[in-house]
Amino acid sequence: MSTLLTIEGVSMRFGAYQALDRIDLDIQQGEFVALLGPSGCGKTTLLRSIAGFLKPESGRILIDGQDISRLAAHHRPLNTVFQNYALFPHMTVSENVAYGPRRQGASKTEAAERARAALDMVGLADFGPRYPREMSGGQQQRVALARAIVNRPKLLLLDEPLSALDLKLRKRMQLELKHLQAKLGIAFIFVTHDQEEAMTMADRVVVMHAGRIEQVGAGTDIYRQPATRFVAEFIGDANFISFTALDGDTLQLDTQGLRVPFGKPAPARGVAVLRPEDLRLRGEAATDTWTGAVTDVINVGSHSMIHVDLGGQIIVARHGGIAPTGLRPGATVHLAFEPEHLHLIGEQP
Amino acid sequence: MNGRAWLSPGLLLAAPVLFFAAFFLAPLAVVALASITGGPEGMTLTLQQYVRVLADQYHWDVILVTFRLAFFTTVVCVILGYPLAWYLVRVVRWQAWRRFCVILLVVPLFTSNIVRAFGWMVLLGRNGLVNQALVGAGMADRPVRFIGTELGILIGMVYVLLPFVVLAVGNALARVDPGCEQASADLGASPASTFFHITWPLTLPGVVSGAIIVFTLAVSAYVTPALLSGGRISVLSMLIFQQYSSVFDFHYGGALSMVLLVFTLILVALANRAAVLPGAAR
Repeated sequence: MSTLLTIEGVSMRFGAYQALDRIDLDIQQGEFVALLGPSGCGKTTLLRSIAGFLKPESGRILIDGQDISRLAAHHRPLNTVFQNYALFPHMTVSENVAYGPRRQGASKTEAAERARAALDMVGLADFGPRYPREMSGGQQQRVALARAIVNRPKLLLLDEPLSALDLKLRKRMQLELKHLQAKLGIAFIFVTHDQEEAMTMADRVVVMHAGRIEQVGAGTDIYRQPATRFVAEFIGDANFISFTALDGDTLQLDTQGLRVPFGKPAPARGVAVLRPEDLRLRGEAATDTWTGAVTDVINVGSHSMIHVDLGGQIIVARHGGIAPTGLRPGATVHLAFEPEHLHLIGEQP
Repeated sequence: MNGRAWLSPGLLLAAPVLFFAAFFLAPLAVVALASITGGPEGMTLTLQQYVRVLADQYHWDVILVTFRLAFFTTVVCVILGYPLAWYLVRVVRWQAWRRFCVILLVVPLFTSNIVRAFGWMVLLGRNGLVNQALVGAGMADRPVRFIGTELGILIGMVYVLLPFVVLAVGNALARVDPGCEQASADLGASPASTFFHITWPLTLPGVVSGAIIVFTLAVSAYVTPALLSGGRISVLSMLIFQQYSSVFDFHYGGALSMVLLVFTLILVALANRAAVLPGAAR
């Protein structure tokens, strides 16, 4: 695979607000990348800078080695699916989709033919004569997608395209998008604030925070080895336990002063990330367990989350299935875990 | 309580309906009736007044002048008003400046038409500011005649009616989803192409509604053409005014009024059809 898009030191400022802070990122040919972060983290600003709707103050953006930073949006070899779809209300669905080919100089019949093929690909072959307002949100979303892929760009930008859909439809569209992307071989850059969505679809996840890239990697790697406390907190649920490394491969945990063996090199001090599913409920206390009182039991159905007060700190444990009836607020429980599941984040100087 | 609840909307509607009937419907009926009656008592039904109006070439000339003036006023208002609205909605970033511009645009509407027409008479006169500027700049050898020409009336009417187009188009422009224009650029359309294919069609209803307001006000305008015509040019409203105020021939004046009304309605109906956007909610 070769590099399709290169972002070099792109910065952007809105007044006193640093929206993008020296962003560097490479995206490969045919890759599915998710830009993930809370609102205001700069992910949409970055996407709009790539599309050409915003002009970064510094840095370069290259596609296939060619600097496109100075190109106007309509000269850039990429297409966008907008958050609110931005379908042209005065055109039929097929006119909407044929708009791209027409502007690229295709004849009317050729554009119509390509529009039909693109609509067919998103399962809307029979909807050409309709107007956007006569369609449901999910169908409009597909039209927007068809319109964006009809020109066969090398790069497709998607700005939270599924956020307006209900949960069931969103889950289905996530898989459909992933399959479509694989079929087309177009690189996708997908902006989302939903970590599950990012993990479901993307080959690589780019976690952003306050205008910076916090971490780039496969979804599972980011989940297992978050680079910063922010990433650990944003991706899934996490317990944070302060630690100090002792001699002889031992960690001294602040929580109830527990000492655990740790075979790998560890930073002198910092926080350990412990995912709720790595905690086990035990019937009796041992030297390697925590003991505390249950404060809340949240039954979701497929699993339950048990909140345990370990003397000032609430630790959350995940229990597969519905929690046992004996597990009520106030009950005393013991929590055990494998030390290798601790992921250590060193204290940043 | 319950039994009377249905009454209240009826009561609430009664006042506006009565007002509408008394001050809109009744006068129109009186004029229409006057136009088709005649005879010594003024009570016999006759189309004689219409024959008098339509069989006379002079009236056709006046009708032509009236509608030509209104047409060009509308065209010039749209040509000047669209960019102005664009400037106010799209270019001005500073809210206070935009508000100031809108006030500047609307304030003349609060001033009397007569005062403004007199202002133009002074400006456009033989030794007026406009002619001094033209001659001074060497763009004309001697003063250009404005007063008593259709051009003079056109200038005065455009000035009076321009705000209506700016407000209607500005409103339409502000409603265009910026996402649609970005999507157009994203799909490879140049700015000109985006304007032609997206912005213009989406603002067309605003343009047409502004144009219809301007056109209807222009065909029925009296003060501006009367003062700027210098007695050389007649429009329908001036003939109607004469019949009602000096000649007291309400039958003939009524027929002239109805002719103006019918011609205007036909043109407005045609323009309205052009404004219906495909895909818009009907």
